[in-house]
Amino acid sequence: MERLGRLTAGLEEGLVTLCLGLMTVITFANVIARYVFNSNILWALEATVYLFAWMVLIGTSYLVRINAHLGVDALVGRTPAGLRRILTLVSVACCIAFAALLLKGGWDYWYRFASVAAFMEVNDTPMPAFLQFIADWMNDGEEYEKLPRFIPYFALPFGMALLLFRFLQAAWQVVTGQRTLIIVSHEAEDMVEAAAAETRAADAARGGRH
Amino acid sequence: MHVALLFAVIIGLMLIGVPISVALGLSSILFLLAYSDASLASIAQTLFSAFDGHYTLLAIPFFILASAFMSTGGVARRIIRFAVACVGHLQGGLAIAGVFACMLFAALSGSSPATVVAIGSIIIAGMREVGYTRDFAAGVICNAGTLGILIPPSIVMVVYAAAVDVSVGRLFLAGVIPGLVAGLMLMIGIYVVARIRNLPSQPWAGFGEVLASAREAGWGLFLIVVILGGIYGGVFTPTEAAAVAAVYAFLIANFIYRDMGPFADRSVRRTPLQLLYGVVHTLWHPDTRKTLLEGGKLSVMLMFIIANALILKHVLTEEQIPQSIAESMLAAGFGPFMFLVIVNLILLIGGQFMEPSGLIVIVAPLVFPIAISLGIDPIHLGIIMVVNMEIGMITPPVGLNLFVTSGVAQMSVTSVVRAAAPWLMILVVFLIMVTYIPWLSTWLPYTLMGPEIITR
Repeated sequence: MERLGRLTAGLEEGLVTLCLGLMTVITFANVIARYVFNSNILWALEATVYLFAWMVLIGTSYLVRINAHLGVDALVGRTPAGLRRILTLVSVACCIAFAALLLKGGWDYWYRFASVAAFMEVNDTPMPAFLQFIADWMNDGEEYEKLPRFIPYFALPFGMALLLFRFLQAAWQVVTGQRTLIIVSHEAEDMVEAAAAETRAADAARGGRH
Repeated sequence: MHVALLFAVIIGLMLIGVPISVALGLSSILFLLAYSDASLASIAQTLFSAFDGHYTLLAIPFFILASAFMSTGGVARRIIRFAVACVGHLQGGLAIAGVFACMLFAALSGSSPATVVAIGSIIIAGMREVGYTRDFAAGVICNAGTLGILIPPSIVMVVYAAAVDVSVGRLFLAGVIPGLVAGLMLMIGIYVVARIRNLPSQPWAGFGEVLASAREAGWGLFLIVVILGGIYGGVFTPTEAAAVAAVYAFLIANFIYRDMGPFADRSVRRTPLQLLYGVVHTLWHPDTRKTLLEGGKLSVMLMFIIANALILKHVLTEEQIPQSIAESMLAAGFGPFMFLVIVNLILLIGGQFMEPSGLIVIVAPLVFPIAISLGIDPIHLGIIMVVNMEIGMITPPVGLNLFVTSGVAQMSVTSVVRAAAPWLMILVVFLIMVTYIPWLSTWLPYTLMGPEIITR
């Protein structure tokens, strides 16, 4: 579990970074192409949109790992530890249900484009030559002119599977007591208080000018 | 009735600690499975359409990235130096300069928390050095930071434009005058308090310093020209403008200010070949990758909330909720005045619990048809929503600005809430002004871009 966790962490971080970088470069290149070379990269917008979808759908599981999903901790942050553990377990159960439902939906949606509708292509983005071998597997050897739809749509089942994995991992961490909340916590008052006390001490040492 | 249950489930889930995105998504999915014949596959398709159906939203990650390069790239430091040189000599000068710096940074960045972090992490420490209390410093910056979403560019405006299909360009223009007015009101408030409490002022450093700091900050501030000039000159779309801004910010931070990347170490002398390698290396330098990941993280968090809010929006439109609300409100004989009161109340209460972008995606389609039939300008409605979101960001329990301010000022969230409260009153007065003086928002877009085409 741990090793799989580390491996997927690298994958998630790398994909988020790469997608955002490529999106920026492609959109910028399109502007340059229009004004400097007086032409248009026809597929720029579509490719950027698919990269965006990949970034968000894959990245959302990464956010579970680093505990960066936004939530309301005003209530759970104030409950006693025992109750908080129960509430958090219920929350994680909801998250697991959410990811499982969307994994099923994402798989169903994707599977149609990977089986009976495997011939369907996107509107603009051309098929890179080095991926043409996929045509042998999926399209009876008939080469794709544009990217087949099952490639960008794969972000759905893949991202949701990763998300499910991360929520299961989070549930395990809550059960074993390594984690108290599954949302970003702002009410870490003791930590803030400690930092504030430190600053006060530093002020006092400087002669208490305030 | 079912819909009331739906909202109860959403709020219940959020209160027990489910992430906002999952709370919105899960309850909408369960609702669709229970009360309609939608398949899970079609729900997954709706989730995906957040990307391939809403091109406007593409601007969000680019604006976030530009702002990330600005914050790590030392633009904020130079803007603050310029602001202090301009207004620091007034009584309460450093606080006024803080507001001024927030306004300038807001014109480069589309997010409020980013503005607080960029400006606050430097100026709050500076204000305490010269004798301001921590509460005063944090309260002022926490409020001034909210201008980040009012002064264009603005992520919340992009979300509103995408949710109800209005022009991003018009909305951006509409935010200019209200943004200046709000900033001025905060400055005047500070000046009054400063006179009463006899707060310190900085020595006047002379016009030389103003010019020198302006030249330094100019590289960063030129981005305003790139973004707004580009959009209104018809050079590029708002999305492209955002991407160009991100690339520009990257170039400035790495090659002009040299606060990050391989050239940050100024002591190294390079041969031309090493120089060339350095330029290429910048593309995958650890600093660049770190900034990309930072920007990516924030974009993912926002977009996943928005994507799930879009599933909820799908539920609401399918159930014809906007129409039935509109009918009952019109039947009850509500005029524009009462309607705007109600919109403000909904948004203020909702803003306490929700992240702004998600709330806009849900509320905008609900109130938009009513506003149009009452003859309210869609752009004006958008600005009202944005100002409400500003207030939501500095009121607990979910107030992003409060959290980041507590981080940069090293205070507990509760004391930031107390510190921000007096200045919040200024924003409330401002909200009433924006709501009932439409020309504050509509004059500039009407003058520069012609009258609104979406009317009843």
